[in-house]
Amino acid sequence: MGLKSIWTKVYQTLASVRTGIFLILVVGIFAAAGTIILQRPTTEPDAMARSYSPETLLWLDRLGLTDIYHSWWFLTLLCLFCVCLIFVSLDRWPNAWKVYSRPVRFAAPHFRLGLPQTAKFPVSDEAGALSVAERVLGRFGFQAERVTEAGATGLFAEKQRFSVLAVFIVHLSLLCIFAGYIVDGIVGYRGNIQIPEGQTLGQISVSDNRGGETKKALPFLLRCDGAGEETYADGSPKKWWSKLVVIEDGKEVVSKTIVVNDPLVYKGIHIYQSSMGQSSTPKALTFAATPAGGGDAVMVEVPLDGKAALPDGESLSVLRWVPDYYVQDNAVYQKSDDPTNPAVQLGLTNAGGETKKLWILYSQLNSTKGQDAPYEFAIKSAVWAKYTGLEVSHHPGQLGVWIGVVLMALGLVIAFYTHHVRIWAAIADDGKGGKLLWVGGTTNKNRDRFKTTFDQIKQALSEELSSGAAMKPNQKNEDKSLSQA
Amino acid sequence: MSEARVESSQRPASGAALLVLVGLGIAFALLVALLAAAKTHSGPIYGEANMLYTALVLYAGAATLYMGYGVTGIERYVSTASALTALGFAANTAAVAHRWMVAGRPPFSNMYEMLLSFVWTLALLTLIAERAYKVKIIGSITMPITVVSVILMQLLNSEVRPLVPALQSTWLQVHVTLAMLSYAACAVSFALALMFLIQDNMKTESFQAITSGGMIAVYASILVTRFSSGALAVTAYDLEQKTEIMVSRGHPLFIRIPDLGWLYLLVLISALAPLLIYIAGVVRKDESLFELASKGMFVTMLLQVVGLAIFIARVKNGQYGSPEADSLYSTALPANPFLLSGMVGGIVAGLLYLLLLWRREGLQRMMPSADDLDRVTYKIICIAFPLLTLMIAAGAYWANQTWGSYWSWDPKETWAAITWLVYAGYLHMRITRGWKGRRAAWFAILGFGVVIFTFFGVTYLLPGLHAYAAG
Repeated sequence: MGLKSIWTKVYQTLASVRTGIFLILVVGIFAAAGTIILQRPTTEPDAMARSYSPETLLWLDRLGLTDIYHSWWFLTLLCLFCVCLIFVSLDRWPNAWKVYSRPVRFAAPHFRLGLPQTAKFPVSDEAGALSVAERVLGRFGFQAERVTEAGATGLFAEKQRFSVLAVFIVHLSLLCIFAGYIVDGIVGYRGNIQIPEGQTLGQISVSDNRGGETKKALPFLLRCDGAGEETYADGSPKKWWSKLVVIEDGKEVVSKTIVVNDPLVYKGIHIYQSSMGQSSTPKALTFAATPAGGGDAVMVEVPLDGKAALPDGESLSVLRWVPDYYVQDNAVYQKSDDPTNPAVQLGLTNAGGETKKLWILYSQLNSTKGQDAPYEFAIKSAVWAKYTGLEVSHHPGQLGVWIGVVLMALGLVIAFYTHHVRIWAAIADDGKGGKLLWVGGTTNKNRDRFKTTFDQIKQALSEELSSGAAMKPNQKNEDKSLSQA
Repeated sequence: MSEARVESSQRPASGAALLVLVGLGIAFALLVALLAAAKTHSGPIYGEANMLYTALVLYAGAATLYMGYGVTGIERYVSTASALTALGFAANTAAVAHRWMVAGRPPFSNMYEMLLSFVWTLALLTLIAERAYKVKIIGSITMPITVVSVILMQLLNSEVRPLVPALQSTWLQVHVTLAMLSYAACAVSFALALMFLIQDNMKTESFQAITSGGMIAVYASILVTRFSSGALAVTAYDLEQKTEIMVSRGHPLFIRIPDLGWLYLLVLISALAPLLIYIAGVVRKDESLFELASKGMFVTMLLQVVGLAIFIARVKNGQYGSPEADSLYSTALPANPFLLSGMVGGIVAGLLYLLLLWRREGLQRMMPSADDLDRVTYKIICIAFPLLTLMIAAGAYWANQTWGSYWSWDPKETWAAITWLVYAGYLHMRITRGWKGRRAAWFAILGFGVVIFTFFGVTYLLPGLHAYAAG
């Protein structure tokens, strides 16, 4: 088999609606499978491990079934579907374009045989009959034109010719959407960032398909000048807002107060408000320092990233902050981000620069008692920082998607609610030496409604033709003006 | 001779059983309606609760008359039913308007409000189908659905809840409105396709097989997701706060009603039996087995009604434990819409089958011709498909506005896309390959099956699949 015939075969296969339906079926089945089998990026790894045995999981992973929508074979299927869409459209385009650009204006005798709706009326006055037909068609909203071919004159009228192109608009729109989606799949990204009030950050966390996270630097920095929330009477959140400033090359370029559903857009990067919270790390902690030898306690506020001086020249800093701790093998570990059960490691530096490490395990004893230090420290209060949770996304392909959506809406409306209706009329021989007025018509869809219309036209024609002798004067005048034109 | 005797002894029996079942159904509906009436109806007379209750009474009257028309074929029932539907629709509109006014936003934000709008759309479509397309019988399918939905709403929390930030978007409302409209259109196309199959002289026993299949699907999904060592898992519900009790975000607490699981296993077996008998009948070409399968349908119907009654009784009274929690919790019907609508759906499907079994010829005389039904089904899908497309697009736009991602393959999105693909397949097969009649009708039925799965299955079935795998 030659290269050319292989190509022909491939083209024919991909240009058939049957292949398209088959691909729709396969895509549908795999898409459905992805909602039944747990998927990697959205499910935590330990939830996966709990749901499937290690062997099953291994095979699911190998076959790409745990991340169907990003697996190479699913994307290949989608691309194949696109190719099929293109070939099907190309295959049908020449015919449709012919109908659209060079409509058959004159109904030749062999053409008349193929029409679903036809009618014949015996007539004596050929020109008069055509004028009657012209007028009747006009009454039904068809602007008929006179067409002369091979010495014979006929009428041609049509409506909504663009309807034949609707299917191509719909297919094109689908391709636009896919193209946009593919562009976003390649160059797009989406991640999140939590900025405490007053801080400037420029790195987002992007979750990868393996459940891990990678950092990605934005082409600019973001500063949060303030954030807050309003709540309803029952405590559920009503509104979240953050005041953001975009800083590029050290200059403030844009600032905007964003709320949910109203993002900040800069250079194609959308920044959305997605959550709001209290940072699990305080801005500062206040300790009560009681001298070990006895005496009154002194209050010291220690910023988390700084130190505070004590009355006799020593300084206090927070070495470690664990919001929710547990102890194992004599070491302190973090259990969660929830600051309900904190542990603090303090560094007490004396004038000689020597640092002593002290622990406060809040739930056991809020004190450093017995840890051999000139002071006993106890946590008194904390100053909490608010942070704003932002979703950052860069999806330049979405322009294609939205253009596709608009095109599709347009295409579907044209496809379902417009009909290309064509009507021809001509004078023909009745085979016995007399003349006939032949009328015929066709439509590309909604045949039953067209049949009703055509029957009404037939009815009107037969009435007009039989009462032709008793035409009203004004109609006669109209006739003249038409034939003069 | 003996066959004739079987015939004569069979007929009255099935008629009586039907009456008993219909009676039970109506009694159940009245019971719940009374429960609803007992709920304190404060507020102005034109207020939402009163208007909705008025609508319920009117719709119930209309549904009964439409069903009566289905059974007896008396034409004048329809005009009264139609008038009642129109009045009920007016009251329903008032209820929607009042809620819209009080909430200051269109009512689409929770299950209660979505049902409110769904019922409104369904009543409107019924009136249109009846007046414009002269499909009178359609009310006997759609109006019972309306009544069941309004009763369901009486059980749900109807408080006007404030919206969390993510839901405060016009696009969401556009999305949900379009979803309701397109799903209602799909429901109508489904009803029309079923009517086509009846008019196309598909055998009654084939309908029995479909009905059994539907019931098996309902009870199998209930058991797969909720059966745990003989008990039935239901969602715990805080009666004071009127909210579900959550273990963690997105994970409701499941408590177990002991022994109820076995009862539903029994119901599943009783639904499976007629189908197996039917298959045996087809394989062995033995017509008498179809009669037996038909009798089996009565048994499963009775068991289902009993199952529903016991479910309601046990949910309303009593507290149950869970391996995940130390103390006992109560539950409520609104916390289990999936179970409730599945069971009620099974019973309604059974009642429709019995109606067909009993009154097939009369029904066929009342319906439009097969050709008309085939064509109208296609036309309704031509309405549903663009709406479906726009619904998905509006949803994507909203997601993009809120989370910065227009398509993230979450199960609801994926199934919406699958629905779209199925109807796209239908349209292509019909337009380019000339699929008409029975094949097209089956395609339309499949499409609505996918819609139902997208609406209920994705929310209640898919998470349930893994909830127990994890435990």
